[in-house]
Amino acid sequence: MTVVSLASALTRDELEARLYEAEETLRAIREGEIDAVVIKGGATEQVFTLEGDGHSYRTFMEAMDIGAAAFDADGQLLYANQALCNLLGRPAGGLSGQALHGMLDAVNQTTFRRLLAQALKERQSSEIHVRVGDIERSFLLTGAPIDFGIGSGVAITFTDISEREQTAAARESERLARSVLASANEAVIVCDRSGMVTHINAAAERICAEGPIGKRFEEAIALTFADASELMSGGDIVAMAVGGTPVQGLEAAVKTSAVDVTDVMISAAPLVVSGDRTQGCVVTLINLSQRKAAERRQALLMGELDHRVKNTLAMVLAISARTASHERTIEDFQKSFSGRIQALAATHTLLSNASWENLQIKDVLSVELAPYATLSSGRITMEGLDVSVDSKTAVSLGLVFHELTTNAVKYGALSTRAGKLSVRRIGLVDDGALQIEWEERDGPMVTPPTTSGFGQTLISRSLGSGANGGTKLEFRPTGVVCQILIPKYGHFHS
Amino acid sequence: MAEDSKEPVKLVLYVAGETPKSLAAIRNLEKICSEHLAGKYKVEVVDLKKQPQLAREHGIVAIPTLVKELPVPIRKIIGDLSDTQKVLVHLSVEE
Repeated sequence: MTVVSLASALTRDELEARLYEAEETLRAIREGEIDAVVIKGGATEQVFTLEGDGHSYRTFMEAMDIGAAAFDADGQLLYANQALCNLLGRPAGGLSGQALHGMLDAVNQTTFRRLLAQALKERQSSEIHVRVGDIERSFLLTGAPIDFGIGSGVAITFTDISEREQTAAARESERLARSVLASANEAVIVCDRSGMVTHINAAAERICAEGPIGKRFEEAIALTFADASELMSGGDIVAMAVGGTPVQGLEAAVKTSAVDVTDVMISAAPLVVSGDRTQGCVVTLINLSQRKAAERRQALLMGELDHRVKNTLAMVLAISARTASHERTIEDFQKSFSGRIQALAATHTLLSNASWENLQIKDVLSVELAPYATLSSGRITMEGLDVSVDSKTAVSLGLVFHELTTNAVKYGALSTRAGKLSVRRIGLVDDGALQIEWEERDGPMVTPPTTSGFGQTLISRSLGSGANGGTKLEFRPTGVVCQILIPKYGHFHS
Repeated sequence: MAEDSKEPVKLVLYVAGETPKSLAAIRNLEKICSEHLAGKYKVEVVDLKKQPQLAREHGIVAIPTLVKELPVPIRKIIGDLSDTQKVLVHLSVEE
């Protein structure tokens, strides 16, 4: 028998080894540990795989446009199609073994392993991020169970969603940029490369012409530059910024319907969206109107102060010269001169306390009469003198009242206990001048002076003369009466 | 042990292309070699899909099959090598 002859040709050990091998082969087939067999056909051998129908998944996957891969139940890669290799920047067959896992960082590896485990049971999707070359790409992975015939595993498709994500991110970024623009306090105008306005925020809308979008910058907003007048326009600033040169802190006047905006500070910067190419420029305008108004007021006040100081000095010189020519002794001069300068100083104090505005006649008079008012309470009456006067008139009135008071204290109603003084408003005369009357009574008998002193000159000249203003001094026996006319422009009589 | 410990273990793994069990056997063998036979082995992987005639030399019937050529005696381990202990016993290098 063949079996006997074969058996007799082999040793017992060899026979045992063959038997063991045969048993092992059967066991391995039973337990699904092998998936291919060698069949001897004549002089040649042929290999048959036991994957059965499952083998066709490769053919199917290879025909797919989207990236796909198959994994066994342990999560080991069995096969990755050409499309997936392309997607991940690998040559054909370049994803075998652990290559795919190696492309993922720890976080994405965890996501991927979880998907492999879950997709063994049911269809699952996850998103992973992979660096392909220099670019971070996003993939939507969908895994589903697959039957290989001799076992099961997972098939996973890879869809590149990077562009979709980039579009979403761009849209979000655009939305953010718009809200930043809208929330800015300063006026912001965005122009394209040709200088046309493309975006504008609410603060800028207030100072621009109507419907500024699509207009040229210089048409959208009317600017004039104080420092360079004709040499520069808004369009030049935009052109400079678009050309890559930022412009910073230029001051300009703006013509607009918004009353609270007259002056602005302009800055413009090139707008670079991506890469190095300038897409246009961003112009910001800061409202300087309040600051400029304050500056103008300051300059006005400085000029006014300068003017007044000069006037005052001229007046002091004149008073000094005139007083000197009328007084006989140094003592007399000193007394008269310092009295007049003090009157001037008192009016100035009043004026500066009232910021050189809205000083009333009664304030000027009160300050002159103050040293005598307490002593003579009830003797001095004032009536209808709450009339505002300008600063020039206040200074003149101060000097007039000073001379009248000095005279009254020396020779008139205020030199005796019985004397009375009344200062009152008579009313407006035809040409708009305001007439007030200084009247002394019950004092000593008055005789007109034989010579005219500077006091008299000062009284008669201080407020001008003629129809518009001036004074008329009468030395009546009952007391001095002075009619004072304040020119129309010097008082603010309501 | 009977064999000379200095003599490297020479192994031939027969696979059939990239069938799941072939791939599993390659993976399992790599793991066993690196963990238990570090530096003491030489592996040759034979793809019988490409060269089926090579099955003749060791009388291979089922794939995957691992053949220990050296040290003698020749031993065959049939299957995907998922049972590490069994593989180590057959390679006579169990610890």
